[in-house]
Amino acid sequence: MTGRYTVITNNPLVLENLKGRVPVAYRDVSYVELLREVRDQIHKGGKLLTHPLSGSVKPGETPYKSVMLLSGKGDVDERSLDLIENAIQACSKFQRKGPYRPEVDKDFQLVDWTLLEGAIASAGE
Amino acid sequence: MAKLRVVHYINQFFAQIGGEEKADYPAELRAGEVVGPGMALMQKFGDEAEIVATVVCGDSYFNENIDKATADILEMVKSQSPDVFVAGPAFNAGRYGVACGTIAAAVQEQLGIPSVTGMYVENPGADMFKTKIYIVSTKNSAAGMRDAVAKLAPLAVKLGKGERIGASAEEGYIPNGVRVNFFEKERGSARAVKMLIKKLAGKPFETEFPMPVFDRVAPNPPVKDMAHAKIALVTSGGIVPKGNPDHIESSSASHYGEYDITGVMDLTADTFETAHGGYDPVYANADADRVLPVDVLRDLEKEGRIGSLHHLYYATVGNGTAVASAKKFAAEFAKKLKDDGVDAVILTST
Amino acid sequence: MKLEIGNIFIKDIQFAAEAKIADGVLYVDKAALEKVVLADETIKSVTFDIAKPGESVRITPVKDVIEPRVKVEGRGGIFPGVIAKVDTVGSGKTHVLKGMAVVTAGKIVGFQEGVIDMSGPGAAYTPFSQTLNLVMVCEPVDGLKQHDYEKAVRLAGLRVAVALGELGRNVTPDETKVYETCGIKEGIEKYPDLPRVAYVQMLQSQGLLHDTYVYGVDAKKTLSTILCPTETMDGAIISGNCVSACDKNPTYVHENNPVVEDLFAQHGKTLNFVCQIITNENVYLADKQRSSDWTAKMCRMLDLDGVIVSQEGFGNPDTDLIMNCKKIEAEGVKTVIITDEYAGQDGKSQSLADADASADAVVTGGNANEVVILPKMDKVIGTLDYINKIAGASAETLQPDGSLKVELQVITGATNETGFLKLSAR
Repeated sequence: MTGRYTVITNNPLVLENLKGRVPVAYRDVSYVELLREVRDQIHKGGKLLTHPLSGSVKPGETPYKSVMLLSGKGDVDERSLDLIENAIQACSKFQRKGPYRPEVDKDFQLVDWTLLEGAIASAGE
Repeated sequence: MAKLRVVHYINQFFAQIGGEEKADYPAELRAGEVVGPGMALMQKFGDEAEIVATVVCGDSYFNENIDKATADILEMVKSQSPDVFVAGPAFNAGRYGVACGTIAAAVQEQLGIPSVTGMYVENPGADMFKTKIYIVSTKNSAAGMRDAVAKLAPLAVKLGKGERIGASAEEGYIPNGVRVNFFEKERGSARAVKMLIKKLAGKPFETEFPMPVFDRVAPNPPVKDMAHAKIALVTSGGIVPKGNPDHIESSSASHYGEYDITGVMDLTADTFETAHGGYDPVYANADADRVLPVDVLRDLEKEGRIGSLHHLYYATVGNGTAVASAKKFAAEFAKKLKDDGVDAVILTST
Repeated sequence: MKLEIGNIFIKDIQFAAEAKIADGVLYVDKAALEKVVLADETIKSVTFDIAKPGESVRITPVKDVIEPRVKVEGRGGIFPGVIAKVDTVGSGKTHVLKGMAVVTAGKIVGFQEGVIDMSGPGAAYTPFSQTLNLVMVCEPVDGLKQHDYEKAVRLAGLRVAVALGELGRNVTPDETKVYETCGIKEGIEKYPDLPRVAYVQMLQSQGLLHDTYVYGVDAKKTLSTILCPTETMDGAIISGNCVSACDKNPTYVHENNPVVEDLFAQHGKTLNFVCQIITNENVYLADKQRSSDWTAKMCRMLDLDGVIVSQEGFGNPDTDLIMNCKKIEAEGVKTVIITDEYAGQDGKSQSLADADASADAVVTGGNANEVVILPKMDKVIGTLDYINKIAGASAETLQPDGSLKVELQVITGATNETGFLKLSAR
């Protein structure tokens, strides 16, 4: 692993679990807004380390998303751009479900966290 | 139950009026008549539907008087209050295909009467209209009439009755970009094995999901000396001189325009407008420079940062225009631009 | 390797005091099975129910579907590394309780889907409307974490299936099928003129509720590897996947993988079915790179002429599918891929989240966003909690007449990406 990665997330559980371990950029925004923020970072030279559509829980269903990004400067990574653009486009084809009851919200947070946890294990802290 | 009322559209050739020499035959309503391929349709319709009138129109007449012909034919169709409108089939006849597509789409959109036509997949009309109306896929010549009618008639009946239309593979229409589920005869794994065996043997096979194709164009090397370069403007944003003299369609454009901007320093609300039907035209109509930046390029010209602005610009409407048409337009005017010694082009979209 | 599958046709399931199979009827001793389930202290209680094809019954939310099997000859046991000890399976003789399934249901997380309708229009979309289903709903002890609950239910289902399979050990099968593959050299000598074909199976491996296990190993921690296709028939691959009901592979699908079945049907005739390659669908992009590199490399090393690649899930796996396809094709190996689509309710959106021109031979399991109306059923096994009680969704989902308006997504197996069903789209 070269360079240090950042986790961009709107999931408070991820913030709580990673505090002091890896850099976390927490944003209190929607799923698709978070993906747009990731896209902005890619435009600035960031590189995706995880798939932006991780998990089978669909956009519009889960409100949470966490993405690992390698910050960088200079050239735009085309593959990252492809993936994030496709992901943003994919959001529009799902109906918005919910609102869910509070305990379901916790389940969504947990699943998003475990998807990221596997990636962190692969990347090493 | 009463039979569905069908109005059928055909060209001068299928009405046995004549070939190319009679292609300027104006639109004509033949109420109560079944003409040419209408006979075969009637046979297939059986007790379900009947042709109550036939509209005949020459291909040249239609394409050269597209607005008037469309308006006249819409009136004729309306007068017969049909349940469904059938055009063609046009097979591989290009102008006939465009006419069938244009009129069928107009009847469906403007009169709210479901419409269907048929043509060969490579007919330019197919690419232009396949997302607007159902187009039955036919062979490339009238020798495929029987096969075409066998698909066209039942689809017309379904449309007339307002029944659910199945997937393209079931109904026989040209895929229109809308994915529709249906049950195949074999399960997916068996279909995959069959497809693989064909692919291995180098035999033709048909994918169930064509990948979206992106035409990647390698960028040209940068212009070295902008201060002496001749720059041209091209747009798919539909900017045309006020009044749209070439009648570029607001969507599915069939042609492009070439316009002289010699001496034009600024596009104003009085002189230019957009023909584009795919976005809110208010801001483009108020100041067309927003889409086609003539004013800024004149400034750059004055400041000596570009050599000159080419005196001609090319415009079409990108809204729903077939990729094949767009390619054809570009190939034509790219040659003109080269012949005129243009060094670089700024292509604006919306 | 050679495996003999002996199918015992199950025509009915009944609860009885004594567990046995007689004249095609499976008699289930509820109390005995309860003990099998409650051997795990994290499970507080379990209820059993029977659902038969044609009944007005809805099962939801479904977690896994399992076919009971028993190893009667040869190495190892069913579900090696999970229930049976680790030992290479896939040879010898296995008996199968055909025509039935164990269905585990119950809410693990609050957004869980998975509907099986035993009759009505929904039945056409799930393969498990055609099986006699022994449904078990497990309640966890209080305070059990979702991870542990998932694991407990996953293992309980497998234990029950094994216990039922055991009843078939000494029953004479109604039908016997033999599946045999050759060694590399042997195959080339035996079928010199047939194209060498393998099956590349992508396994869901993203995290909690998205996991698959191979001989008990979490697939996200594996490198792409080779199996003998008969190994999966003995339960070498099991599902820990609870999300995306329509295109997840329940354990039943692994045991009866249709690509394996249909490639075997052509084995020695039009092709030489060399092996099965399994690879994963991790969220970490470098893992994807490694796994797809390895898959393509193995295709080359095995001198394959063609492969079929199947997918599991939506979004993230689309990228693995395309990477696999692109790299395998680049090795000169002809590739057919099986996927499903998310084209929106109107069918007009881009179906996949990734694309490449090399994917020119695609089989689709249909558009998972298509809307269907599922009429009210007389009986619900499990709970409609998820579907009915989401605040705000009830107006949309639950119709005034009690029917459900849902996307195919929620139906178990509806758009399966191993090609299990006939559903397709154009």
